[in-house]
Amino acid sequence: MNGIDFGRVAVLVVFVFNGLLMLSLIVGKGVHRRRIKSHERRRVAYLTLLSRQLAAPDRSVEMGSSIAGDPAFLDALIDIRTSVVGSESDELSWIVGRHGVMETYARRLERRFPVTPRLNAAVALAEVADESWAPLLMDHLGDREPEIRIQAARGLARVKWTPAIDAIVERFGVETPWVRTRFEDTLLTFGSKATWPLVAYVRVNHKFDSLGPAAAIRTIGRIGDRDAVQSLIAILQSSQDPEIQIAAIEALGILGVPLAMPSLERTFLSDDWRLRAKTATALAMIAEREAIPILTTGLEDPNWWVRRNSAAGLARHREGIRNLHKAIQSTDPFARDAAAEALADVGEVIAARERIDAGSATVDDVELIRFIESELAVKA
Amino acid sequence: MTDEPARKRILVADDADTITTLLDTALTAGGYQVVVARNGVETYEMGKSGDIDLVILDHLMPGLLGIEVIEKWRSEGVEVPVIVLSGVDDDTTLVSSLEVGAVDFVRKPFRLNELMARIRQRIPSGA
Repeated sequence: MNGIDFGRVAVLVVFVFNGLLMLSLIVGKGVHRRRIKSHERRRVAYLTLLSRQLAAPDRSVEMGSSIAGDPAFLDALIDIRTSVVGSESDELSWIVGRHGVMETYARRLERRFPVTPRLNAAVALAEVADESWAPLLMDHLGDREPEIRIQAARGLARVKWTPAIDAIVERFGVETPWVRTRFEDTLLTFGSKATWPLVAYVRVNHKFDSLGPAAAIRTIGRIGDRDAVQSLIAILQSSQDPEIQIAAIEALGILGVPLAMPSLERTFLSDDWRLRAKTATALAMIAEREAIPILTTGLEDPNWWVRRNSAAGLARHREGIRNLHKAIQSTDPFARDAAAEALADVGEVIAARERIDAGSATVDDVELIRFIESELAVKA
Repeated sequence: MTDEPARKRILVADDADTITTLLDTALTAGGYQVVVARNGVETYEMGKSGDIDLVILDHLMPGLLGIEVIEKWRSEGVEVPVIVLSGVDDDTTLVSSLEVGAVDFVRKPFRLNELMARIRQRIPSGA
């Protein structure tokens, strides 16, 4: 075979290969589309079947053994279960129990099965939210598949299975950031019942670990339980870990209890600009007015994040806005920039222009517009 | 041979097929005649026809919101009774719905028996 023949054969092989590839893609797409259509048809049929049962319950009706493993039935069940409550919900539970639907998914959750059916099973168990499956879900909080751990926690939260709180919190220190974030969301479902397990976890671990306790503190803040303020103050005062301190400052800001003000005033003097910046925001969230003197000093901070957050905090209160106007006339260029940005954010620049146009401008208005225009001129 | 009384006609307006299937099945079993609309515009047009005895209306629908549909009907003199069935769980939606002329408001998820009782109260003769 000479060189030219070899080239022709190679081109032909590539051509045939591409053709086969294209054909398999087209066939695959067609099969997939048919599967989706078939799934949708079955889902609608199941919806009708379940609706009939809810409208006129007849416990002698047999839905067939195939429904247990059919994902279309599960979709129909979840759809209808999220639409009704009360005796209709109980009726659905009875149908599910009678046909062994959850037993089928529980079996599929076993570790010998491939990931996809296992994950589908975990979603099914989480969605159906039946207390009798809580022990099984507890077993899978430590599953090797992250998404199954997430679904297990979600299912436990949906049935408000309180023994799960400690088990979920305990995993904060060993989880990947993604799973930990989803666990944080899950714990919110338990509300203030999760506060003390989280506080206890932080107390025990904050000297040995950083990310887990910080996540736990953030969750406490998001739960919004003000009973945790004293504990958070103690943690803020005793910890030397910036991640934990930042989380505590943020949580104290969200909880908004003035009791935290003295501790935060101390962290506003920290050498670490990250703590000062977070503290500026937290102080403004706790007490807009009382924080004004300390936030005004923050306008002259060497770090721009601290200046920015202090200015934003001042802009939350009328008196603070007056101090921002004063800062426009300051000799400190950093303070002027931060103040101008915060004033612009709360619409003060537009308001000043309108007052100038209406002939009712104050000296502060004139100074603000003069500063903005001189800045624009420099940039141009 | 006796004349069968005309069945009352209920318009179920919801973009979720779960709700329309459930209500269609339950209302038909209860002796009503059911028509379904899947968006706000379709609902508005069907409600204007004059042969609807009651509307079960979702609040959040594509095209027109439930409240907007009621407003348009009322401004054009269409006085068909409307029960709003809404997944939006806030008092503003409830109050606004009643203010524009809905006769009742039911929150999703709902009790089917309770909704059926409210419907029977408005139009008692199913069959």
